[in-house]
Amino acid sequence: MAELPQAARGFGVTFFTMFKKVVTEQYPEDRDKYPPKPRFHGRHQLNRWADGLEKCIGCELCAWACPADAIFVEGASNSEEERFSPGERYGRVYQINYLRCIFCGLCIEACPTRALTMTNDYELADSSRASLIYEKVDLLGPMLPGMLPAPHPMVPGLTDSDYYAGKVKGSVPEQANDRPAAGGLGATS
Amino acid sequence: MGLEESLPSGVLLTTVEKFAGYARKGSLWPATFGLACCAIEMMTTGGARYDLARFGMEVFRASPRQADLMIVAGRVSQKMAPVLRQIYDQMPGPKWVLAMGVCASSGGMFNNYAIVQGVDHVVPVDIYLPGCPPRPEMLIDAILKLHDQIQDTKLGPHRKQEIIALEAEALTAAPTSEMRGLLR
Amino acid sequence: MTMTSNNGSDLAAVEMVSVTVDGVTIEVPRGTLAIRAAELLGVEIPRFCDHPLLDPVAACRACLIEVEGMPKPQPACAQVVSDGMHIRTQVSSPVAREAQEGVLEFLLLNHPLDCPVCDKGGECPLQNQAMSVGRPQTRFDGEKRVFDKPINVSAEILLDRERCVSCARCTRFADQIAGDPMLELLERGAKQQVGTAADQPFDSYFSGNTVQICPVGALTSAAYRFRARPFDLVSVPTTCEHCASGCSLRTDYRRDTVTRRLAWADPEVNEEWNCDKGRFAFPYLREGRITSPMIREAGELRPASWPEALDAAARGLAAAGSSTGVLVGGRSTVEDAYAYARFARVALGSDNIDFRVRESSSEEAAFLAAVIAGTPVTTTYESLEQAPIVMTVALEPEDESPIVFLRLRKAARSGRTRIVNVGAVATKGLTKVRGELLAALPGAEAQVLQMLPADIRRALGQPGAVILVGERIASVVGGPSAVAALATETGASLAWVPRRAGERGALDAGALAGLLPGGRQLVDPSARKQVAAAWGIDASELPTGVGFAGENLLAAARDGVLGALVSGGVELGDYPDHALAAAAFTGVGFLVSLEHHHSAITEQADVVFPVAVVTEKSGTFLDWEGRPRPFGQVFRDSLYESDARVLGMIATTMERRLGPSDVAGIRREHAGLGLWEGFRGQVPDRVPGFTMMGEHQFALASWRALIDAGVMQEGEPFLAATARQVGVWMSARTAASLDHPSQVRVIGPGGSIVLPVQVAEVIDKVVVLPMNSPGCSIYRDLGARVGDAVGLVTVKRHEGEGS
Repeated sequence: MAELPQAARGFGVTFFTMFKKVVTEQYPEDRDKYPPKPRFHGRHQLNRWADGLEKCIGCELCAWACPADAIFVEGASNSEEERFSPGERYGRVYQINYLRCIFCGLCIEACPTRALTMTNDYELADSSRASLIYEKVDLLGPMLPGMLPAPHPMVPGLTDSDYYAGKVKGSVPEQANDRPAAGGLGATS
Repeated sequence: MGLEESLPSGVLLTTVEKFAGYARKGSLWPATFGLACCAIEMMTTGGARYDLARFGMEVFRASPRQADLMIVAGRVSQKMAPVLRQIYDQMPGPKWVLAMGVCASSGGMFNNYAIVQGVDHVVPVDIYLPGCPPRPEMLIDAILKLHDQIQDTKLGPHRKQEIIALEAEALTAAPTSEMRGLLR
Repeated sequence: MTMTSNNGSDLAAVEMVSVTVDGVTIEVPRGTLAIRAAELLGVEIPRFCDHPLLDPVAACRACLIEVEGMPKPQPACAQVVSDGMHIRTQVSSPVAREAQEGVLEFLLLNHPLDCPVCDKGGECPLQNQAMSVGRPQTRFDGEKRVFDKPINVSAEILLDRERCVSCARCTRFADQIAGDPMLELLERGAKQQVGTAADQPFDSYFSGNTVQICPVGALTSAAYRFRARPFDLVSVPTTCEHCASGCSLRTDYRRDTVTRRLAWADPEVNEEWNCDKGRFAFPYLREGRITSPMIREAGELRPASWPEALDAAARGLAAAGSSTGVLVGGRSTVEDAYAYARFARVALGSDNIDFRVRESSSEEAAFLAAVIAGTPVTTTYESLEQAPIVMTVALEPEDESPIVFLRLRKAARSGRTRIVNVGAVATKGLTKVRGELLAALPGAEAQVLQMLPADIRRALGQPGAVILVGERIASVVGGPSAVAALATETGASLAWVPRRAGERGALDAGALAGLLPGGRQLVDPSARKQVAAAWGIDASELPTGVGFAGENLLAAARDGVLGALVSGGVELGDYPDHALAAAAFTGVGFLVSLEHHHSAITEQADVVFPVAVVTEKSGTFLDWEGRPRPFGQVFRDSLYESDARVLGMIATTMERRLGPSDVAGIRREHAGLGLWEGFRGQVPDRVPGFTMMGEHQFALASWRALIDAGVMQEGEPFLAATARQVGVWMSARTAASLDHPSQVRVIGPGGSIVLPVQVAEVIDKVVVLPMNSPGCSIYRDLGARVGDAVGLVTVKRHEGEGS
């Protein structure tokens, strides 16, 4: 190779590169081929217990942990008629301002009930500042099979401590009794 | 004009709008303008692995006169704000602004007197991109969402109608101070 | 921490002992506790149960120290020092440190680790002391004791038993300070817990204090539980606006909303306590406010701009001129009341002004002017504590001035003070202060005062004796005269205890017809000259004749003698003569109302101005002693203006020159005037009245319960639920004569009301009703005043439910 002209050597590099594996990720077409790592800090999610009651207790520790002041929580008291979470309190207002959030995950560490976790969803760009303040409806996790939309009573016979100990495995028919129509939360947003 | 009258109403203009939008979105040239850590991700996006060239954005232009997209990548200090505005003013229209990362979008975690609390105080922003910093995919996603906006841009009389409609909407909108939602 | 202040005067008599703490010898008074001796040297011994105002109990054992000569560590909070004692605290003694660490570890065994969501987290003595003297790791790996949480010890107070460290502060407070021993430690050992009897909730007027002194988060209030954390609150020292006790409070707010109020330590006034009304009745500050000025147009009130409303008010008042009446409610600060007084005299040229939105009489006005107005502070809380005898007349301290009640209880507990109440009921409050009842029919107290038993009269002659007279003396014909005469004869010091926070200040500010600031008489030439000079006018410009006051003022407004009324902080339902008051406000030609909430009066007003509540302005209240209780503005960027500012703006619009309207300026002007030392007017000398009633009639005794239907208590259901049960109190003999009914219909001159019967220690021929409680307002429902004769009819249960 040494006797080849310099120019040819240079073109050679270019030529052989054509046979190398292409490094370019074809986002967005092949989005699913390049998923983020499981521990990637993406959009938040407010989780529910297996019966559909919310895990958030409105304690505001996430808001306190937040270094960017991106979270606003306002708690309210559960009542027997309108129960959103086990125990005394639930998060009535839950807002995350994604134009302040730095995805550091301190809120996740602070949460005492694992109500707040992060997903791998990262496609968040939007055209106005207001639309990037996510409300509780936007953040709540999906209704999985066996879940009933809150508000509804706790599983009969279980206490809030049993919920925290993970003893609830799904909703039971008794919980659906005289439930307010169409999940109070969605109606208020 | 002759052709317009003989065609079904609106066809030609719609087509011109679509064509212009297609042409514009297909050759967005960003200005080279990195302010902080977000710029590292922006450079990565231009590199081989993410390859912004796939979307007709070959080069980051060193002169604002040749650019039509300003990616504000990083926090804008109060001292930088007039510079930023000058660069924006030097760009020829039509032009777009992408606020990349939370600092450019709202000040992010730097809620203090040194940082402009959102670059929309200085220039009109077309798309906001959360993240600290956003990963390259997020930037590409934002650029693609901007492409959609550009594709749907109205022209001529349609734009005038749109402006009238938007203004009427804005005049009847609730002021921010009255938007309480669930808050007490 | 408050130091007990009572032995300041006789320091010389105190015997000193010398004690050595950690090798440093100091002199302390005999009887000092080791924990206080160490505090004097700056050594802080950990403690939970110790509280300087409660008796030592050594319940928590956190303060163990080593005392030379004693075999085992001793609790410093209960160890009285003796001469030559050698004490070694955790600073110098490994034994003491070991003991303290051990106790703390023991206390934490069953304590839940819920600090992040606990209300006390951030201001918690247990948290702090676990950090300072605790061990970093626990050796306990068993399961912690748990209880059902929380339990309600009352509607307002909740108890998380697993957090409790059994320090007995709450039970001792309830027993010793409040005298409501409903809280008790139950069970033994690990199960030991605070609790109440099943049928007897902790419905004390002072229950909120237990939340404040709880050294852990075991006691919380329903109003504050989980609402905020200590570290995100901004605290401002304020003064309570609910009564004339003048408590120092700490107002904590967050996001422009008051979240809680706490008692602030003021040893001379409220020590470290306050009542539940002052602590919990604050939602009214925010709810239901008037947000913009309003003017009446075509019979309807509509929102208006400030200039528009000021213009309307100025035109209407200028037209009425000196035939305008000014009514100042009892909620005004001194500065606002002063502004009303000055506005009436200078801007309107009118002397028709009265601050008494309640039962009032001309005799009372003369009494207040001659004896109370503009007098310096002489009778204080301290003098109650030191007094050999305290006589209360027309006053129920527990309901009408709770901190006076606490001081009386403290005095009674010390055994020095004899307490006598002239009234018709031996209330539970009187029992708690170990008082005697000197029976008097309501309305006939003056007769009893004139014919006092010899021993009481003699006791009142002792130095330091105190007579406390309540505002209800106005309803007793000859009452103010008799009280003033008694005080003069015996030499006992006399204090007037009004109920509302602003009354004493309004009196001193001259918001009463015939009275100028500082107790000056309107008719006194030199007093006129002084006031006119301060107000920058000529003395001849001041009104010459004494104007209307009390019900005469209302009647004049009704009859068209007055062309306009200016009212601020007035509640229609507080006037005894409902019909007269309603007719006055509807009948008057022009009505300007300065209010923070919509009321029956704002509905009638021609111009309504929104004014600031106490959190939105600074000012001063005078408590019943006459002691100024200044407070600052909590919400500094509030858009509401104080009454004084609004009056100033109206005067400016009327093109009348008024002095400064800001708090600092008014204070300066008022202080420049000072107190009056000249003639104060004649002490009234009326012949005592008597109570007239038929054979089957009863005299009505009544006062306002602490927690009642007052408008400033709105929006706090938990507090309302701790109110005393509404009912008719009667003696056992009266109940027997009616065949022990469970309910009776009380028939007054203007209506009747059915209420449950409660047998109490009431004298015969008297029934007691709450004056203004939910479901019972004597003015509205009965049309009766205190001392009026009412009839009783037994009601079968089903009939009672119908009405």
